[in-house]
Formats: sequence, structure tokens, C-alpha cells
Amino acid sequence: MTGRWLFTKVGAAVLTLIFVLIFNFFLFRAIGDPTTQLARLPGATDKEIEQLKSDYGLDKPLLGQFADYVGDTATLDLGISQNTREPVWEEIKDALPWTLLLVGTGTLLATLIGAWMGVKAATKRGTKTDDGLLGFSLFTYAAPEYWIGIILILLFAVAWPIFPAGQQVTPGVEFASWFDEALDVVDHLVLPATAMTLMLLGQYFLIMRSSMVDVLTEDFITVKRATGLSRERVINRHAVPNALLPLVTLSAIQFGAVAGGAITIETVFSWPGLGELSFNAINDKDFPMLQGTFLVFSVGVIFANLLADILYFYLDPRVQSR
Amino acid sequence: MTKGAVTVVLVLVAFGLALVATGASGQDGTTADGTTADGTTADGTTADATTAAPSNDENVLRIGWAQDPDTLNPFVGQNEEDYTVWALNWDLPINFSPKTLGPAPGIAESWEVSDDRKTVTMKLAPDMKWSDGKPITSKDVKWSLDELGGHGVLFAGYTSSITRIETPDPETVVIHTKRPDARVIGGLFVYVLPEHIWGKVPLKQLKGQYQPDLPIVGSGPYVVTEYERRKIITMERNPNWRGEPGAYDKVQFIKYGNQDAVERALDLGEIDLVREVESSSYARLGEQDNVSTRRSQTPAYTQLSFNMCPERLCPDAQFNPAVQDRTVRQAIAYAVDRNKLNEIATRGTSFVANGILPSYYKSFYETPEQTYPYDPDQANQMLDDAGWELNDDGVREKNGETLSFDLYVRSESPFTVQMAKLIAEMTQDIGVEFNVQVVSTDKLYDLTVRSENGKPAPDFDTFIWGWGGDPYDPSFLLSILTTGEIGGSSDSFYSNAEYDKLYREQTGIFDTEERKAVIQRMVAITQRDLPYLVLTEDPQLQAYRTDRIQAIKPVCPEETGDLFCDQVSYDGVLALEPVAGASSGETGSGNAGLAGLIGLIVGFVGGVIVTRMRSRGQNEPLEIPE
Amino acid sequence: MSAGTITAATGGSGASGASGVRTLLFGTWRGRFGIGVLALTIFVAIFGELLAPYDPTASSTDVLQSPSWSHILGTTENGSDVFSQLLVGTRVSVIVGFAAALISAVLGSIVGLAGGYFGGWTDRILDATENWFLVIPTLPLMIVLARVLNPSLTVLIAVIGLTSWAGTGRIVRAQVLTLRERAFVERARALGAGDTYIIRTHILPNTLPLIFANTVLIVAVAILSEAALAFLGLGDPTQISWGTMLENAFSSGAPSAGAWWYVVPPGLCITILVLAVSMLGFLFEEYINPRLREVA
Repeated sequence: MTGRWLFTKVGAAVLTLIFVLIFNFFLFRAIGDPTTQLARLPGATDKEIEQLKSDYGLDKPLLGQFADYVGDTATLDLGISQNTREPVWEEIKDALPWTLLLVGTGTLLATLIGAWMGVKAATKRGTKTDDGLLGFSLFTYAAPEYWIGIILILLFAVAWPIFPAGQQVTPGVEFASWFDEALDVVDHLVLPATAMTLMLLGQYFLIMRSSMVDVLTEDFITVKRATGLSRERVINRHAVPNALLPLVTLSAIQFGAVAGGAITIETVFSWPGLGELSFNAINDKDFPMLQGTFLVFSVGVIFANLLADILYFYLDPRVQSR
Repeated sequence: MTKGAVTVVLVLVAFGLALVATGASGQDGTTADGTTADGTTADGTTADATTAAPSNDENVLRIGWAQDPDTLNPFVGQNEEDYTVWALNWDLPINFSPKTLGPAPGIAESWEVSDDRKTVTMKLAPDMKWSDGKPITSKDVKWSLDELGGHGVLFAGYTSSITRIETPDPETVVIHTKRPDARVIGGLFVYVLPEHIWGKVPLKQLKGQYQPDLPIVGSGPYVVTEYERRKIITMERNPNWRGEPGAYDKVQFIKYGNQDAVERALDLGEIDLVREVESSSYARLGEQDNVSTRRSQTPAYTQLSFNMCPERLCPDAQFNPAVQDRTVRQAIAYAVDRNKLNEIATRGTSFVANGILPSYYKSFYETPEQTYPYDPDQANQMLDDAGWELNDDGVREKNGETLSFDLYVRSESPFTVQMAKLIAEMTQDIGVEFNVQVVSTDKLYDLTVRSENGKPAPDFDTFIWGWGGDPYDPSFLLSILTTGEIGGSSDSFYSNAEYDKLYREQTGIFDTEERKAVIQRMVAITQRDLPYLVLTEDPQLQAYRTDRIQAIKPVCPEETGDLFCDQVSYDGVLALEPVAGASSGETGSGNAGLAGLIGLIVGFVGGVIVTRMRSRGQNEPLEIPE
Repeated sequence: MSAGTITAATGGSGASGASGVRTLLFGTWRGRFGIGVLALTIFVAIFGELLAPYDPTASSTDVLQSPSWSHILGTTENGSDVFSQLLVGTRVSVIVGFAAALISAVLGSIVGLAGGYFGGWTDRILDATENWFLVIPTLPLMIVLARVLNPSLTVLIAVIGLTSWAGTGRIVRAQVLTLRERAFVERARALGAGDTYIIRTHILPNTLPLIFANTVLIVAVAILSEAALAFLGLGDPTQISWGTMLENAFSSGAPSAGAWWYVVPPGLCITILVLAVSMLGFLFEEYINPRLREVA
């Protein structure tokens, strides 16, 4: 039973991925010959353009080209960056851990803080605390995350320069130990991670809050209370865990927004992740790189969704009993 | 609790993995050990030692930039930043003198021009060695001129008149040209690469993805030992450098995300020097303590181009024919206040231009007789006399033609967009209408290279763009207005037989005074015909920390040049001196933030623990909302 | 955001008629805030150029000046007046926001209707497409599309509209699915009514309120999307918008220069407008789905 369900989910994920490939492929063919950009180089003779075309396999029929594309992608050959002439995958590989670090920290903190805020607001529903927290979350939801990032720079890297304003390490410095370097990274991570956390906070808060309210009204809570458990206990041991569940699914829905946030926040802080790669590719009109980062973002989100579905399946008591 | 915990643990694990991965993918191939000092933090406490203790007092020159080279392979490199690195790593056959920018010994220590001026014999100094110990010979020169000069994207063209290069012995290079070409002495801007390394790589690869091994073998005072794209380039002393060593042991180029970050880094002391400062921050930086700025001339300018293509060459070109009326162009020149353009669009940081030869070319420049000073009355008079009458919309007309033109300008260059708008405002006063169209660079490029039936068919009336020339020899800048370049670099499609003739003549004159006279005649012709109305000469804006670098002597050329002869010669860097006792490295201000944050977290957690301990055992009723 | 998580559960209208809407809009502080801000924004969008004290593109030599009597929000890196730019930039946000949301609504509704009503393979294909658009990260998708087709207002509207419709589609489809099985539809079919008639008289009227409420929320998303795209350099280079203001501020070194007057106002405007529109959207959703009123 579970096997079949798993199979469908994975199958759907793979299908989605295939459509991403199709989309990627046709989109860039649609704008015309990729060699037109290269043809703009001074001194590009017709013969050289023909040669380029055959190198890129552009003289094959469309289906053949697509088959090539799929095959290449499977072997992690995502093409050559138009600007650096380096393999796209190499650059993505180097950038990926940094994005994961930023996004992971932001999601973790947003979950923890948002959940905590949600519990507080739900248990103090209708009070000023609730209103305050609600207002704060709405504000951070509506505010553009890159704007928040710039304001953080203004406040904590310019006005009171206690944090660095960009990069991931202080450049050109040799560190005495791995730990020192890690500390330097954390130092540089604080502001961008704060921006990311604030961006994601609102949703976690709202969901946790409404989910807590739902749970608090359920019968089993009244029963627990009636058996004489303290307020603390009831909230922490029984209400919260059950309210936590929707958070998992929400994390999944968030991944798409997280990808977008990664791009803008990394741009603001020159954080050397996928987002900054994308930003540079936009400015340079480096289409292979843009294709590559879009693919990786999509794969990441698809995979994360799949993971969340699986997690949800195992965590939800109601689903399991089916 | 278990299920919630599972989620949290999973996230933590992923997070931990990411941390490890970033640590692993961090600095690889670093050969440097930097000097860092313990700085004091914002609140006066000493920072903890997160940086290496000061080691053997190395002098490191740290230059920051927002754009770094995409590649260090000169066969494919296209960014101007590439030159900054190449110029330190390699020599030219004949270098540019830091005093005058004229010819100075490079790989060749002396040279002779034959009587017919079609043969140049260069003599190399004996016993020169590459940084890897191999001897530098004439073979290297020949190979570089043939291959890099023949195929390098930015270098093709300089060797266009060379027919044959002979190397009778390892210290002699004989260059034969089909016509006398002064560029062989004063402008052969092709780096001499080690043939024993580059010559072993198939040409296809050289023009493809080849990246030279580190350290990059060269003949200059510094060679690249570390290259992390988008992060850092480190250059260290060439052990076989033949001249006086510079004061710096290392030169580092550090990449920042954007110009804003570079300037902030200068403020914080993370870098010593910025080679390109934005015009909008130039004034502000100059006012800062410990920072000094420098504005110098460059062989680059910004111009308003007119579509000059004659019918026979461009039968299908699209443009308003009135743009080819010389009186109209001259009137426009009188109506545009170039001083004001400079003041407003570039905040006074550029230099007002007078003609197609930038004043940077000291050996060949003279203020032209006709400079079109701002005189809208004169402009109106000229147009009145020529019979252009104002219509109801305030635009002049004659015989069915209207003085209403498209003015294309590139969105990537905000200051030229401003100039375009200002020009449109100014010419309103003389009844000429410019319709400013902001387009992408690609789009403008397409409009200028448009062709039909194999012939150029440019589609524009006017546009604003810029050109940059070579350090000493003005041939390139002069060439773009020749008929021969139509279909190539000519974007004005100007064709004047006398200009072409003079151009060919001056390329073959080796005597400076003689050559200058010819060039002046060329300038006069273009001032009369105005295929380009050159608006401003682009400046080089630089800034450096006075507490890191000592009194700087401008070079290239002496007195009016920039801080370190950027991109042209390594002599500038060799002349720089660090301030005694200055250490390059972080000021430690960042640690305050971290310390503060940790303190905050500890305090918060402590507070939570305390409150919980206090409220333990309390039994308030739980409000269950209905 | 929650456009997707709020399910169209039972359908059918909540409180009755116009008076219900009016109380909701003007009776609650959220409603008043939302309507107030929206009205002000539209007013400025229309009359921005007249209200602006300076030509927003006029440059001067007073670069990055802090607020003063002559420039109440200071100047930009070109010496232009920030306040004037703010006023004139309103128009783009409004136009793109509404136009893109409209396209998104129309597209989403058509897809949702077609899939939900006709079922079978049509539904399977449309639903799969919908899910694809829902899963794919939106900003990267928009970036790729916008970069390929050179940026302009039209391109922006098209790109945002074509990538945001899936949420509406899903809601509409769910609603149509429930309605399809309802008694009055069965009866109509039994009486021989054609598909068009059923859709027009029974399905659509019961779906429109839902579409409307959802679209309002999409407007908020569209405004944020335009700003993000502009910030990344994919905005219309010939237009001023709040997003391009942030882009210019950032790339010209305003943060380093401490030019808070250039950075704070555009972002604040975006935030407030998005808040206002979102609140209106939530209000409409509550109105349609009374069950939601308790939780919020």
C-alpha cells in the first residue's frame, strides 16, 4: 500500500522534472539561435559560426537536440557558461552549499521563532500580545525581503558597523583554524539569515497560530486539563506537537518562495550562492547559466516537496491509520 | 513530542551538512598567508583572534573591484579588468613608458627601423628568463605576435600590417610590414607569452576553454598564483624578474558583489585601493579621512554619433536624411553645452571633449581651431540662414524634411541616458527635436550592424555611445571613422577620401611631430564634418587609503596619469610603497557583532530558563477559547 | 500565499448581499485601512505626475542629499527628487499589479472551469499543468522568462500573469467540482440545459466571488513580483517604479552612503500597499467563507 503511494509520488516528481527540462529546452531555442550571442563577438566569421553550430549540435533535428539535452543533464553536463567558459555545473556545485546554508538557517530559525510566536499568540488570543505579533508578522510578510536586507545593512553595517555588509568571509585572510573560519562565516551569515528568517516568519507564525487554536479547542485537550495537568504541560506536551504538523507541509509550500528569497537576499549581500549566480547570469545574459540555475532550483523544490510529502505521511497519525 | 523532534532533527542534520560542505568548498589552492592584526572593535574591546597572527611582515597591496575577469586567457578574455592582471604578469614586445607613454624597453631592449620603414628589427636583452626559469627568446615574441595577435579577441588588429616575422637568432626579431606602420614601435599591444607553454596547446582549445596553469608563467614583476573567480586573484613576486623589485610582496585583487560593497570595503580598510570609483561617490569618498581620490584622463570618450552612411554604400539604410546635412550637425554642436553635460551627467568628473582625439594623447593633441563653444544664437542663425523654418510644433522644417531625430541611448549606461535627455532639452532652443529612446546595448548594436542584401543598412538617426583607445598610439581611435571600417567597427559610416588618405599616411610616420601635424589635419576635417560630436572624455576615478599607501606619484604619463598605471604598465605598481607599520586585514569590527549576538542569545536563553524555573509548580487555569 | 491554502470548502454565499460587504469594508479597521490605502494609491497613480514637485527624471548636482525643505525625501544618485519619483512610480506598481492579476484570474478561471467541469482527460492535463506551475519556484521562472523576452511593462505583466494563475485555477476547479454534483445542476441537465447555459447561470455566479477574493490576493503577489523583478534589473528601463528605485539605490551605493531616505520610502510603500490589498483580500475571503471568520 505504502509502496504504491510512494511510487505515485515519486513518479509525479519525475514527471514534473521532465517538464522542467522540456520547458528549459524550448524556451531557449525559442529566442533563436544561441549562437547569435556568440556571433556578436568581433571577428566571428561565418565559418566559425557554422563550426560553433555543429559543436553545440544545433544542426541536428529538434528531437535529437532534446535527447542530447536530457542525456547531458543526466550526466550533470549543464553546458558552458557563456561568460566564464567554465562548465555551468562546476559553478553551481560551488555555490550550492552556500545557498543551503543560508536557506537552512533561515528556515530553521523561522520555524522555531515562528512556531514559538504562534503558540504565544494562540494562547493569548485576543490580547495585545496577539495583536502585536500578528501585526509584526503581517509586516514582515508584506515587506520585500531585499528591502529588509538593505535596511539591515543600513542599520548594522553602516550606521553601527558591527556586522560585515556582504560576502561570506573576510576576503584575502588566512585563518588559523577551521573553527576560526567557521566563526567568520557565521559573522557574515547573521544579517542575510536574519533577512531570510524575517521573510519566512510570518507564514509559520500564522499557520502555527491557527493550528494551535484548532488544537486547543479539541476535546482531548479539555480531557487532559481535566485530569489536572498544569497549563504549561498541556500546551507544551500535548498541544504543540499536534499543531506542529501543518508546519511541515507549509515548509514544503514555502520552498518556492524560499528560492526567490535566496536570489534577492544573496544579491543584496553578495552571498556566493545560487542566487548570486542567477543574478550575475541575468546581468550578463548568460543563458546556459540561467538555464542551469533554474533547473537546480526546480529540482531542489521538487525534491523538497517530495521529502515533505513523505515526512507528512509518516508523521500524520490520521494518514497512517488508513 | 517524538514526531516534532524528528522534523527538527532532520532540519538540523541538513543544516549541519551544509555547514560542513561550505567549509570544505571554501578556500582551495590558497598559497598566501596573510598578515592580519587584532583590531579594536566598535566599543573599544580587542577582538578575539579569529585571524592569523601577524607573520613575516609581508606587504600586500589589496585592490578591490566589483567586476573581475571571467578568464585570464588572453585569447578569449573580453573584460577590461583582464588587462589589469595581464599588465602585471607579462610584457609587450615594446612597453609603454610610465613617464610619457611613449615606447620603452619591454621584451625588446632596443629596436631599429629600416630606411623604407617597412622593417623593424628588435633586439632582446640577453639572459632574460621566464618566471619558471626558461629563457625568453625571439621564438616567444614571434609566436605571440602570430597567434595571439592573429586570434586573440582583444588583440586581433594590431598585427594587421605584418607580413612576416623572422627570428634569425634567439635575441633578434625582424618584423616586416606591407606598409610603414608606426604601431610596431608605439602600439604593438600584444603580450609576449611563453611559447613553451601556450604553443603546446591546440589553437582550438586556446580559443575555447583553456585556462593557464597556476602560477601563470610570465616576465612581469608579479605572476598570478591564485585565481578564484568571483573571489580573489593573488599575484606574487616573479622570482626571475629582471628589474628592481617593488615594495609589495603580493598584489591581491578582491572581488565584491557590487560597487557599493567595494567602496564600503575601502572605508573599512579591507582594501587599500579602488581602481574604478563611481562618479556619484567620487566626491563623498574624497571627503573622508584617510582616503584620497584621483581623477585622471583616459583615451576614452563618449560621443553623439550621426548616421553618415552614403547612399552608394548603404542603399537600404533607414534614417532621417536631414541628419546628413552638415549645417544641421554644426548647429546642433553649437546648441549643446558640453560643459553643462559634464557638470550634471557626470557630476563634473569627466573632461569636456574637443574633437575625436582625446587630450590624453599628449604627444599628438592640440586644441582644435573649431571647438563649437556653446552658442545657441549662432546655431539659430545658421539654421535660419539655411532656410530651416520653425513649424507649429516648434521644430524646424525645410522642403518636407523635419529636424526631428531619434536619439538612441543604452539603458545600461545611466549617465549617457541623462546626457541624452539634457541634449534633447538643449536643442529644443534651436528648433531641433530629439526623441530619446532608451534601449538595451544589444538592441542598439543590432540597429547599427543591420544589413540588407549583404550591404550595411543601419537603422538610426543618432545615438550616444563611447570608444576607448590605446595607451599611446591613436590609430585605433582614428580608424573607426575610415571608410575601410564600414562593415567593421565604423558605427557612424562616415566616408571621406581625404580622411582615409591621411589616416594611412599617419600610420606610417614614426616621427612624432610629423605625425602630429597629419593627425591635426584629420581632426580638423572631422570637426568640420562632425560624424561624431564628441561630448566628454571619460575619466579614470580612483581612490586609495592614505594610511596604507604612501604619497603616490601619478604615472602614465607623469603628473597627469593615474595611481598605478592601470592596465598599461607594471611600473606604476612597482613605484607604490606601503606606509610603514600599516597592516592589511580586517579591522575586527565584525567581531563585535558576533560577540554581541552571542551575548544576546545567552541572555535570552538564560532569561527563559529563569522564568520557567520560577513559574514551575504554578497552576493557572488554562483558558480554552470556545 | 494562503491563496492556495484556503480551500473553497462549501461554496455558496456567506452573509447576504451588499450590506454585508459594506460592513466588512467600512466597519472593520482592516477594511478601512485597505480601502483607504488603495484609494490613495490609485489617486496618486493617476495624478502622480501632476502632484510631483519636480520632474522625477530631472537630474541635478545635489547628489544623495538627505531630506531638506526643498527635497522632502532627499535626492537620488543623480540628484533627482526622491519624493517625485515615489509619486510617479506608483503608477507602474498599480498597473502591473492589477493587469497581471487580471490576466492571472482570467487564465486561472478558464483552466479551472474547463478542468473541473469537463473532467476526464481535459481535467487530467489541465490539473497536471496547474500542479506544475504550483510546484515550480515562481521567481526563478519569472526571471528566466523575463530575461529571454527583453524587459518592458508588457513583458512584465505577461510574465507575472502567466506564472501566477495556478492558485486561482486550483480554487476554481475545486469549487466547480463540488458545484457540478449539486442538485440544481443535475436538475438543469435533466431538463436538457446545455453546458454553456449551466456554466453561465449556475457555476459561474457561484464561483465569481471566490475568484474575486483570490484575485485581490494575487494583486498583492503581483506587486511584490514586479518589485522583485525590477530590483534584479528586469524591470522596464524606461519606467520608474518603486522596484527600480530600490534597484538604483542599491547599485549606486546608497546603503554605503547611509542614504536611508532613498531606501526606506519605496520599500515602505510596497509594504503598505501589499498589506492593504492583502487585508482586503482576506476580508473578502472571510465574507465568502464565514467559517474563516472565527479563526482569523
